[in-house]
Amino acid sequence: MKNLFFFILLTSLFLACTTCPPQDEGKSPRVAASMEQLVNDLEDSQNPEIMVVSHRGDWRNAPENSLQAIKNCINMGVDMVEIDVRESKDGVLVLMHDQTIDRTTTGKGNISDWTYDSLQNLRLVDGLGVPTDHRIPTLEEALKVSKDKILINLDKSYDIFDKCFAIAEQTGTLGQIVIKGAKPRSVVEKEFGQYLDKVYFMPIIRLPDPKADSIIKDYLDHRLPIAFEFTVPSDTIGTIGMFDDIREAGAGVWVNSLWSHHCAGNDDRKAALDPNTYDWFIERNIDMIQTDRPALLLSFLQSKNLHR
Amino acid sequence: MKNIFLLVLSILIITSCKQSTPTVQELDTSSVVVANSSAKILERLKNPSDDYVMVVSHRGDWRYAPENSLMAVQRCIELGLDIVEIDVRLTKDGQLVAMHDKTVDRTTNGKGLLSEMTLEEVRKLRLKNACGVRHSRQQVPTLEEIMNLAKGKIMVNLDKTEGETVREAYEILQKTGTVDQAIFKGNDSLSVMREKYGTLMDSIIYMPKIWYDTPNKKEYLRKFNEELHPPAYEMLFDTDQSPVFAEIKNMNAQGITVLAIALWDELCAGHTDELALVEGPDAAWGWLVDHGANAIMTDRPAELIAYLRKKGLH
Repeated sequence: MKNLFFFILLTSLFLACTTCPPQDEGKSPRVAASMEQLVNDLEDSQNPEIMVVSHRGDWRNAPENSLQAIKNCINMGVDMVEIDVRESKDGVLVLMHDQTIDRTTTGKGNISDWTYDSLQNLRLVDGLGVPTDHRIPTLEEALKVSKDKILINLDKSYDIFDKCFAIAEQTGTLGQIVIKGAKPRSVVEKEFGQYLDKVYFMPIIRLPDPKADSIIKDYLDHRLPIAFEFTVPSDTIGTIGMFDDIREAGAGVWVNSLWSHHCAGNDDRKAALDPNTYDWFIERNIDMIQTDRPALLLSFLQSKNLHR
Repeated sequence: MKNIFLLVLSILIITSCKQSTPTVQELDTSSVVVANSSAKILERLKNPSDDYVMVVSHRGDWRYAPENSLMAVQRCIELGLDIVEIDVRLTKDGQLVAMHDKTVDRTTNGKGLLSEMTLEEVRKLRLKNACGVRHSRQQVPTLEEIMNLAKGKIMVNLDKTEGETVREAYEILQKTGTVDQAIFKGNDSLSVMREKYGTLMDSIIYMPKIWYDTPNKKEYLRKFNEELHPPAYEMLFDTDQSPVFAEIKNMNAQGITVLAIALWDELCAGHTDELALVEGPDAAWGWLVDHGANAIMTDRPAELIAYLRKKGLH
């Protein structure tokens, strides 16, 4: 009788075990990478590991472009966080994606019409539009949180980089910052030249672009960038064939998995249904992926030994 | 001796289960074994016990997929949750679809009042993700689609139905064979509900809401308990001094399920999902359980169910 009891217990335990639901992705124990390691990964284009870049922070679990969204990325083991920088009316740099604050805060109007102090009275809202306790962070706060912990891609910062640079310098985070621009080398050197040795610059190339191959070649020959970002709307674009050579030459290849036209349809939405969708990136020798599903992508890459 | 062997073996199984690290295979939805069934969930709703706390996901797992979408419901099923809460509204041509706001502006790529759009028009829209910029490939689902997806797997808590659409919703439940899987709820007294819906109230599972500011609380509860015998109440207390909070003990004693709402401060005396993140789950969800909650509605279902499983409560 007692044995029967144990047998039932055992069977139910076994069942309980096998029926475990999918665990929350990305929660496996992990060792945090040092900044030195992250920078090495970034600089080494031939390293087989794939870098994970989280779009607007971990916006599923905290408001986009909030300090918490950055902290979540650090805790998850994300390599780089993409954040958006804009200026308040009184010239304070803050994190904000849209021109207006309507979608992401409890306020309304153009961010350029709001002083920093008045912005601080607002709350960031969550994915349901419900106010949270989080507030609009300054770039300075964001950089301090990220310091020595995660690489930072400052989006929308190209035109206001003088100011961004001062804050990065002052917070000691210059060596962690990646800036991108969709311009050929000669233009970038003219507009951005003074910073090219001080932060990591990545050209963006939106395929199909008849000039793509010559722009790439020009960069490779005269100013080797840390990586190129490509928009790859379809799989038949010839430039994909250059990815191997680009990496061989010493630059990384960054492709977003955010939206369908970034990656020939192999986007995060598809990956949520089948994580093997991300194989598309591996097969094309892409070594940096910007995602809206960092936990899912990390867990996929870890299973392939392509991430710490 | 044999018993010891079995005991050791069972311990080994438990520990191996807990130590298994998540793999991508586990995320593949096709390989997921559904751990829960709607019949079992209904039994639990009717017979709450100290060793099980039900997880109710607010608008589906909206962090994972658009709120009130089929994918957000599917995700709740895969997580093994007990109940998914969705909002239901009528289109211009009388079709019930899942939509929280009166307008489609916030959650879709369209604009305007849902009540002024036909189903065909609504179907052309695409839902936005929680980041709100980019729309997904997903359409606004009908209640019928949701119930077909949920069938046999999870219970569905229908919000926004009580004022006008209980009848229409009931028709869909009958058509899909899911009357036993839907929990209606509302703020009105039993007499008001009877006036509106008559004996239909006896055919549905109804969960009255009792708020910290519900007038004549005793009478409200007495009438429901004596004349309708609801299996559960949604109990909303702004502080732990609220009479609603004090009432939880009585519900527990009568074997009625107490659903606490961990979404926002004023609904649960501050013991929210957010507090669980800031001060740890014991301070929030644990507190609610210790004070008599048999079910918790959450915006963090994956975290809540993991916590309850660790505590042996799910």
